[in-house]
Amino acid sequence: MKFIVATSAFVLVSMNTFSQSIGQYLKGHFNGSYENYTQQYMKDDEIGAVLPQDRFGSNGFLKLDYNYGKFSAGMQMESYLPAILGYFPLPVNNQTKIINKYFKYTDNRFSVQVGDFYEQFGNGLIFRSYENRQIGINNALEGFNVNVEPTKFMKLKVIYGRTRKLMEYSNSMTRGLDADINVNQLFGIKVKDNTPELSIGGSYVGRYQEYTGAVDNFPATVNAYAGRFDFSAGDFNLNGEYVQKGADPMLLNNQSFEKGKALQINSTFTKNNFGATVTLRALTNMLFKAEREGEFASVAPLNFVPALTKQHDYLTSNIYVYGAQVKGETGLQSDVYYTFKSGSALGGKYGTKIAANFSIYQSLADSFDIFTIGKKKYFSDANIEIKKKWSKKLETTLAFQNIFYNAAVLQSAANQSVIAHVVAVGALYKFAPKKSVRVKLEHLATKQDNGNWASALTEFSFSSPIAFYASDLYNYDVTKVHYYNLGASYTKNATRFSLGFGRQRAGLFCVGGVCRFVPASYGFTATLTTSFAN
Amino acid sequence: MKSKFFFLVMMFNFIMYTSQAQENFPSVKLKAVSGKVYDFAEMAFSSKDTMIVVSFWATWCIPCVTELENINDELEEKQAIRPFKFIGVAIDDARTASRVKPFIKGKGWKFEVLMDNNSELKRALNITDVPHVLILKDGKIAYRHTGYIAGEEDNLFETIKGL
Repeated sequence: MKFIVATSAFVLVSMNTFSQSIGQYLKGHFNGSYENYTQQYMKDDEIGAVLPQDRFGSNGFLKLDYNYGKFSAGMQMESYLPAILGYFPLPVNNQTKIINKYFKYTDNRFSVQVGDFYEQFGNGLIFRSYENRQIGINNALEGFNVNVEPTKFMKLKVIYGRTRKLMEYSNSMTRGLDADINVNQLFGIKVKDNTPELSIGGSYVGRYQEYTGAVDNFPATVNAYAGRFDFSAGDFNLNGEYVQKGADPMLLNNQSFEKGKALQINSTFTKNNFGATVTLRALTNMLFKAEREGEFASVAPLNFVPALTKQHDYLTSNIYVYGAQVKGETGLQSDVYYTFKSGSALGGKYGTKIAANFSIYQSLADSFDIFTIGKKKYFSDANIEIKKKWSKKLETTLAFQNIFYNAAVLQSAANQSVIAHVVAVGALYKFAPKKSVRVKLEHLATKQDNGNWASALTEFSFSSPIAFYASDLYNYDVTKVHYYNLGASYTKNATRFSLGFGRQRAGLFCVGGVCRFVPASYGFTATLTTSFAN
Repeated sequence: MKSKFFFLVMMFNFIMYTSQAQENFPSVKLKAVSGKVYDFAEMAFSSKDTMIVVSFWATWCIPCVTELENINDELEEKQAIRPFKFIGVAIDDARTASRVKPFIKGKGWKFEVLMDNNSELKRALNITDVPHVLILKDGKIAYRHTGYIAGEEDNLFETIKGL
């Protein structure tokens, strides 16, 4: 622990000093960041927290980038001493490594990057390489990435490389091409306000992994294709993407030779203080990984299929979260936002903001046909949040949520479905300049699973940059367990340090629609993040 | 390990001796909700007397939204005292990107919002968490702040006034 704290402090001080002094010599822009997340584990039988062999876990990320005119270069060093509990599905212990490095040239209508890169085609349904440190996903490709605009109406992307697999690389090669065409510019239609705009695009991704087995005509190369459009007219937008993926038998899809398919259509409408969006998505057999082997979908993924549901900020709402069913699902999500203007009857002096959301996902009636709707409901969430500012000092929030959670599909076959109702109230009161208190109370009611939960959270900021927080999530119905947490944070410019102590509930931890299972843990948590530049 | 350090040294030397351009921020092109395309390097280079305040946020980040609501409430009043441009950068990915336009219109936000759907600009500027605010002045980052606690917008407006 001392080593980790000392190393973090050394990196923090030395990198800030280095970035300032290097600025005197280099004409370009030098910048970097350091992030460390350290946990100390203690035994806690009540929540089922088991002590790991090493009572500490520490993830560290040092990233450095340099940019001068059209050139940029950088690297990322990661250390896991060892990785925090549940961070990787496979053991990655006591490693420190420069795992990402790149060199990039960017001109006005052309760029080329060699080394490790991130890229996305369309909605990411057939290809997305990205980093999510909280979840533990980094599927950067090591190879080259070219972006070029050969004409004003066309953009092309080319990728070629091998996918990062935890701290190593996969044994496959991925290549791809993406094209985007602006139809208005193609036909020389000048765009003014409210002129309808149309763009179309297409993508190809192929993954080759050597096959040495005995099955005839086994697809060593898996090809995926996508076509998309995006139409806008004034306040209205409609876009869609259709995807088809070749047979890709692997352990996680029970060696299925069936093709993957997906269709996603989204529409938005906005007017004055009103905004609405609806997204429909149906898919089947859309798991796409860099390697056929392995039993974890989160190791070296090639595409991005997030759960299209609302990500809530409430402790109780996050007990039952949906994970996209890549084997097959169909459903929709809709959001509506509206602000009652200040001065109106419902708006009051500062306005009243409403956000409503609804999502539902079901099985496919025919698992090979994405245009069918099955009878098995996987998940639904209907929620509304009303935010009201009463004065410059006081703001309140009121939220309701209704959840249906098919635990037999989403957790374990023996579990029964859960119907839950959540009520949450929150208030933020600034009692003096730079001094505030925030309180949030929640209740989740259900007759299934572990029954009812209640939670309370308070944050107290008495003098910027220091803030304190305390929270408790209590199952008062069945388990009678308190999941309490308390801590403090210190923020100065682009540096933030926080220290907390408490209990972590076992369950799915989700960020950006991607989840990882977090085991129960008890103990201290320290986080340090900093960004620096010359 | 030696080969990696050699690679880095050669890379930096190559940059130093070959590049002649003036703008030194990463050239990342992002499309705004309005349809306009911005090049961050050009935008940063153009920040001379008129400061540009860039706020990184996401629709799912409650502290970000609280901060932007409070900034939006006082934006015109503060810009009248000390002129500056205010731009939001939404890091919402494919899961929530379609929410951004109805979200900002529904809240009545008046400032431009750029879409950073695969965190290209966020990564290039080494922003680890949102919310994260940058103040660009004279082609440089004059101030940056991460996180939000109530009243942080007052600090930001005071900083802008003092720069």
